[in-house]
Amino acid sequence: MMTSPTQHDADIIVVGAGPAGSCAAIAAARAGKSVILIERGPFPGSKNMYGGVVYPRILDELVPSWWETMPVQRWVVKRSTMLLSDSGALNIDFRANSWGAPPYNGATAYRPDFDNWLANHAVEAGARLVCSTTVTGLLRDSNGRIQGVSTDRPDGDLHAPIVIACDGVNSFLAKQSGLYPHTDASNFTLGVKETLALPKHVIDERFGVRDNLGVDIEILGGTSGVNGGGFIYTNLDTIALGVVLKLPKLAAQQKRPEQIIAELKRHPAIAPLIEGAEVKEYSAHVIPEAGLDMMPTMVADGMLVAGDAAAMCLAAGIWLEGVNFAMASGMYAGQAAAEAIAKNDVSSRGLSGYTDRLEKSFVLRDHRKLRKVPHLVLSDRVQHKYPAFVAGVVERVFRVDNPHPKPGVRRIVREERKKAGIGLLDLLRDGWTGMRGFG
Amino acid sequence: MSSTARIERDNAWPEISFEERIGTAEFRIHEKAHITVNGDSCRGCTTRECVVACPANLFVPTSDGGILFNYENCFECGTCYLVCNKEGAISWTYPEGGYGIVFHRT
Amino acid sequence: MTITVCIKWVLPNRDGDERFAGISLADQAAVETGLSVAEALNDTCTVVTVGPPAAEASLRDALACGAHDVVRIDGSADTDSAETARLLAEHCVHSRFIVCGDYSADRGSGSVPALIAARLERGQALGLIDVRIVGESLSVVRRLDGGRREKLSIVGPAVISVEGSVARLRRASLRATLAAGEAHINVITNDGSGALRRNPETVPPRPYRPRARVVPSPSGSSALDRVRQITDTSSSKGHGETVVLSPEDAASRILESLRAWGYLADSAT
Ligand SMILES: Cc1cc2nc3c(=O)[nH]c(=O)nc-3n(C[C@H](O)[C@H](O)[C@H](O)COP(=O)(O)OP(=O)(O)OC[C@H]3O[C@@H](n4cnc5c(N)ncnc54)[C@H](O)[C@@H]3O)c2cc1C
Ligand code: SF4
Ligand code: SF4
Repeated sequence: MMTSPTQHDADIIVVGAGPAGSCAAIAAARAGKSVILIERGPFPGSKNMYGGVVYPRILDELVPSWWETMPVQRWVVKRSTMLLSDSGALNIDFRANSWGAPPYNGATAYRPDFDNWLANHAVEAGARLVCSTTVTGLLRDSNGRIQGVSTDRPDGDLHAPIVIACDGVNSFLAKQSGLYPHTDASNFTLGVKETLALPKHVIDERFGVRDNLGVDIEILGGTSGVNGGGFIYTNLDTIALGVVLKLPKLAAQQKRPEQIIAELKRHPAIAPLIEGAEVKEYSAHVIPEAGLDMMPTMVADGMLVAGDAAAMCLAAGIWLEGVNFAMASGMYAGQAAAEAIAKNDVSSRGLSGYTDRLEKSFVLRDHRKLRKVPHLVLSDRVQHKYPAFVAGVVERVFRVDNPHPKPGVRRIVREERKKAGIGLLDLLRDGWTGMRGFG
Repeated sequence: MSSTARIERDNAWPEISFEERIGTAEFRIHEKAHITVNGDSCRGCTTRECVVACPANLFVPTSDGGILFNYENCFECGTCYLVCNKEGAISWTYPEGGYGIVFHRT
Repeated sequence: MTITVCIKWVLPNRDGDERFAGISLADQAAVETGLSVAEALNDTCTVVTVGPPAAEASLRDALACGAHDVVRIDGSADTDSAETARLLAEHCVHSRFIVCGDYSADRGSGSVPALIAARLERGQALGLIDVRIVGESLSVVRRLDGGRREKLSIVGPAVISVEGSVARLRRASLRATLAAGEAHINVITNDGSGALRRNPETVPPRPYRPRARVVPSPSGSSALDRVRQITDTSSSKGHGETVVLSPEDAASRILESLRAWGYLADSAT
């Protein structure tokens, strides 16, 4: 397909200056293409909220020595998974001190800081950033080919042969382009969080870290009967505490999000961590949770979709990752778009370098591997029965019941499994899915 | 009304009222509503998903079986249109560029 | 004679972070008022602020909305009112109208416009709740104590300050926004000696002089005819206009015309 005779404002328009959009703009601008990056917030990151950890490996390719300038709160050196039953908790810790030095593994950061920083790199690479501008639709020529976008500003149409939609989870562009046919609430979770202020030394003490080192805790159970999970991340002088709630269940359970947070905060395993903390900011955002099963077609003539707009978020219990997938997919989209412009073929075939790159990278590999995991982790059994079961087993294994001899673990497991109402077959089946997914 | 009456409001965690909670976030309010709710559609709705799920608590049932909606302190998250089962009850867009929620430490 | 709008860029005390900074609604209304007055009077609109480099974001917004020129007088965000007024006044000497917001985003004392008026010995009308353009003057309303309103007609030069409700700042077009993002911003540095210095890329301000008019070379067969043609006022097709006015109005109208043609120093009131 030839590019049309319309006067173009740029080679590539990127919609949304989140991690996906900024990386797309960096990659395309570095390849010498003219790029306009449009963001609806007053500055990049102002509309964006997440749990709290950026896994920055992909930045090695985009921003050399990124760790010297990235606005980091703390470097994550400890990852815990917490299984919460009503009163008990099982904590599985993993600590790697090597993560506290370059090239690092993960960092807590505030999105208004991080996204702004990343967008500045796009501007340095030559992209033109326009904020406070909402994209309202796609422009098409008489043949229906995408020609650019319309915005909510006067004289607001922009023409370009390629549009990269990085407009996040609600992506109206992906929907409007027909790439994203339906929005089924069961594919989404709502994340609500509190940024809780505590003095730095108190956080250091309670979480067993110091300096700029921090902790990442993913929580299973503890969401008041609504399928989902929770998280706690340490920032320098705040703690991010939140819950992720499966939408249809949330609505059906008649329990409001802030109530569920409140209950999690009162759990005996959590309360001591956050005691005395003041709510600095309350926030909410939706997560595309179903992974590969909900991903739209990501390439059309003149258009690519990346990041959350393409549901490339990995929200599967012990994982809550999306920024890294967004950055990688954005970067690949930017590269493929530049390639397509260079060979003067912006049709979906000309743009297919995007899907090729995704298939070869961790982006789709991880998603394929974990395809069934999100649904497993958020299933009723795992949600409501396993935490109590596991906590029960562990509690009895460690219970000192002198003078009675310790019962065999096998017996405890059997009894606890029955108590929790889990069939042996289910346990085996879930274990199998879990092993294939996680292993 | 019975379904919504069952929702215990914030009293379970009394340290902070919902007003205080929402007051911690910055909203740059535009004079024009970006989300509108069609009261007629809501009148027949018994499930009231929006009332439970909206994290900003912006959907308030009225005594005559309708819904009172206020767009001002909205996170622009999308939960309401995703959970509402009634076609046409909610018309949802983003606010004009530059307006709406502005996060600081999220 | 330009219309000058003075805005104050304010860092929020919530985070002290410039990404959350901006100008007040009243300052936005001032920009809109300045732009529409300039449009109606076929004049230019200049937006000025005293602030740090980050304040240029607000100036770019004003440029995108249609300001002809923007100027940042270098200074910290917490420069006090007297100093701010001194710096601004120095820059506004030649303005027909100086428009300010009635309050800044940090809810200061709102004294800057009054201080500018005092320095320049201009008339002032502060805290306006309505501004309309009638001919060459402004018809404005200001709130008085006890719920009373006062209507004024203002012929420049004067300083006015407006409340936020007076006008809503227009939304800049996308193209103007893109262009403003890359525009050069005039910066005037304050070197501490009290004198203002423009940054080198810009043209320094100069006193206003009447615009040169091109007079066609006279035609005529004799020298006398040609001299007559140049000097004879009865044949001039210039500003012929007959008005019937009260003596006061006539006086101000004459002054206004002289000023508009550039024959009067701007500070003459
Ligand atoms: C509660 C929660 C916890 C999470 N925790 C983590 C975590 O710990 N680690 C992690 O890696 N990921 C996490 N994620 C996922 C992560 O936040 C997302 O996957 C990631 O932000 C996706 O990036 P993106 O660039 O695709 O989209 P976004 O970050 O959503 O960016 C989209 C951008 O587009 C802009 N935009 C949207 N529509 C328009 C329009 N019409 N016009 C102009 N601009 C527009 C938006 O303002 C925004 O800036 C979490 C998410 C949530 C909700
Ligand atoms: S908005 Fe939807 S869910 Fe809410 S009351 Fe109306 S119809 Fe029901
Ligand atoms: S978008 Fe989110 S915060 Fe806004 S009304 Fe809908 S559910 Fe509530």
